[in-house]
Amino acid sequence: MDNFRAPVADWALESDAAYILSLSGCLETLTKYDHAQGKIVPSLATEWKQSSTRDWDFTLRDGVRFQDGTDLTAEAVVTSLQKVLDAEVPARAFNPTVVSGVQALDEHTVRITTPVESPLVPYRLASVNTGVLSQAAYEDGAVDPFGHCTGPFTPVSEKPKQSLTLDRNEDYWGGPVQLAGAEVRFITDGATRAAQVQTGEADVSLSVPVSSLSALDGHSDVKVLKADSPRTATLYMNNSRAPFDDVNFRKAIRSALDLDALASSVYEGAAIPASGPFASSEPWATQSTGAARQDVKAAKDLLAAAGYTPGRPLEIIAIVERAEFADVATVIQENLKNVGVPVTIETKEYASVEPDLLAGDYDMVLSQRNRLIDIADPIGFLTADYTCDGSYNLSHFCNKEYDQIIAKAAGTGDAQERYRLYAEAGKILEEQAVNIWLVNEQAIDAVRSDLQSYVQDPLSRYVLTADTSKPGS
Amino acid sequence: MKAFLARRTATLGVAVLLASFVVFLIPYVTPGDPVRKIIRSRVAGDVIDDATVQRLAVELGLQDPFWVQYVRWLARFCSGDMGLSHVSRTPVIDQVLPALSVTLSLVVLTLGTAAVAALVLGITAALQEGHVADRLITTTTQAFIAMPEYWLAPVLVLVFALKLSVLPSAGWTGPASAVLPVAALALRPTSYFTSAVREGVIDALRAEHIAAARSRGLTYAQAVWRHAVPNGMLPLTTMVSVWFAGLLGGSVIVEVIFAIPGMGRLLYDAVLNSDIPVAQGGVAVVVGLAVVLTTLADLAHRLLNPRLREHHA
Repeated sequence: MDNFRAPVADWALESDAAYILSLSGCLETLTKYDHAQGKIVPSLATEWKQSSTRDWDFTLRDGVRFQDGTDLTAEAVVTSLQKVLDAEVPARAFNPTVVSGVQALDEHTVRITTPVESPLVPYRLASVNTGVLSQAAYEDGAVDPFGHCTGPFTPVSEKPKQSLTLDRNEDYWGGPVQLAGAEVRFITDGATRAAQVQTGEADVSLSVPVSSLSALDGHSDVKVLKADSPRTATLYMNNSRAPFDDVNFRKAIRSALDLDALASSVYEGAAIPASGPFASSEPWATQSTGAARQDVKAAKDLLAAAGYTPGRPLEIIAIVERAEFADVATVIQENLKNVGVPVTIETKEYASVEPDLLAGDYDMVLSQRNRLIDIADPIGFLTADYTCDGSYNLSHFCNKEYDQIIAKAAGTGDAQERYRLYAEAGKILEEQAVNIWLVNEQAIDAVRSDLQSYVQDPLSRYVLTADTSKPGS
Repeated sequence: MKAFLARRTATLGVAVLLASFVVFLIPYVTPGDPVRKIIRSRVAGDVIDDATVQRLAVELGLQDPFWVQYVRWLARFCSGDMGLSHVSRTPVIDQVLPALSVTLSLVVLTLGTAAVAALVLGITAALQEGHVADRLITTTTQAFIAMPEYWLAPVLVLVFALKLSVLPSAGWTGPASAVLPVAALALRPTSYFTSAVREGVIDALRAEHIAAARSRGLTYAQAVWRHAVPNGMLPLTTMVSVWFAGLLGGSVIVEVIFAIPGMGRLLYDAVLNSDIPVAQGGVAVVVGLAVVLTTLADLAHRLLNPRLREHHA
């Protein structure tokens, strides 16, 4: 299997190395996010309950053993979680700001305490950063996952920056493991990953680039799998600066853009025109009539209503880290020119523009955020990006009603009610045309046709499972 | 000779110092906060807690004036300690040595292949000067110069891995996996080397001492092998050492395309992530090795060229 990254911080679980251990079928967490059901389901914990305002108690599954033969105990779980809490650079999902303590109540019960009431603790325990290793994994100061996971595969050797080799865990608590073993290769170049699945050197290639799709589509031995990812390419607008401080102007920009053309040309059909801040398949998506259609006349009327007269050209910043943004910016520039809004394009590194974005010293910037990067719930994204005090409020948008809805959602335990509140908040963002949500990007995996029981995870957390199999393995 | 070696040793020290200082300046002359880059390389994401940024800056000593940080690094480096990576917090030496061994293998294979090919092609072209073989070799090798690695590497993968299925498309797992990256890297030096060998042999063939050698009874083949071929090999020693130094840190594109964990990729990632201890340690080793190699090449050049040896004796 080809993955797009190698561990950068050895195997420290608070780092992105945890993703590699999780997708390899080594690392497991107390809970899991079931993408198909859209909810948190049991994993190493069988049940959990909020025992007091700030405390959540998790009951561990019986009969689970680490790959080194030791039992899964509350003490082992506490050791793993405490290591993540104490990390120099803490994990986004599980850090001292959101979790104030972990303790073993008895051999099978772990208590998680939060600084304030939080219904999202079970979501945090599904983050791969909260994966559990046996206590022997921490003996030398570093993190050693070899033989210390609970998952269906156990890592047996590593070629640094190249690959991780795994063997089947014969005593897996979840039942028989189909594959005898696996090799996870770390290949940063997308075209190389695509080539490897074509040649049969790899059975799975994660995150295949759009530019390789045409070669893969005609290959009978390869299946291309696409799923909505929680990433939306977005034209951020600085709501605190004229002319973007006028909602009619922002709506005019939205009406001027041809998102269908953008999706089919720049993204070559591998992205779907966005209908709002969320992908339509997400459980908190707003009821929408679909993607905004280009309407040049409406755009011109809205510009007139906003009292806009062309003056200084407005600037779009295209982040160089996303190569396609230069082309996206060019399409937008052409669309806006047609309604009489002159635009210039600046291509810059993200690190160089971040201070200006956070300070509100810019017009428009193309960016893409992962809504579920912290936990399988958009609360972190909706808070950081759109509340008045949000730490990543690039739009410099502030709306008291929106803030109240998000505050209410943050304290709502019932998932369906919380999702309804997210949809309500999303509707405000749409009505205010805070940003232009351009296209919902697709997660693209390529797999060999003979691979069986492969279930695509848009976030690439669960890839190799006990059920994954192929003939002759 | 002693004076020559003393001069080169001093050059080595100055080159390593200068290179490490330039690398040290990178986070100060490139945009963005280095601490944020370090954090992003560990936990991808846009939202970064300011308290974490400040705490990490203190822990890594990045809040000190840059010259204090540099002197601190220099003192440690001089005592043989390259320090810890800012990103992985593991010893730099543990990252540099494996990467160096991979790149050294890649470069030795590349330049060995290029040198052998250049000798065969260059001597053939020289002996057939003006004929079809000469024109064919000269035109083909000149075309190699116009094939950059970033274009050539995917083409080689397309033909030999995807279409013919005879070689692996990526990795560094054995002799077969080395063929395509070595081919991608070797074509351009082969071109330059061939041209130099051809010129050297032609010059020698026209020289008076060849005629003198033949008048002493040497056959044409003996004259060629004893006088012309060594003359053609002479420029190779210098060219190989220069290319060696360049490829040590300059094979990054091929290393990324073929997923080879070498020095180019290590340095590229280190600069991208503001992992300055790794970048500095890596550059110091590469520059040091480059100076040592060019010194050895100069020595070899002197040994092979008696006139130069006598002139500087």
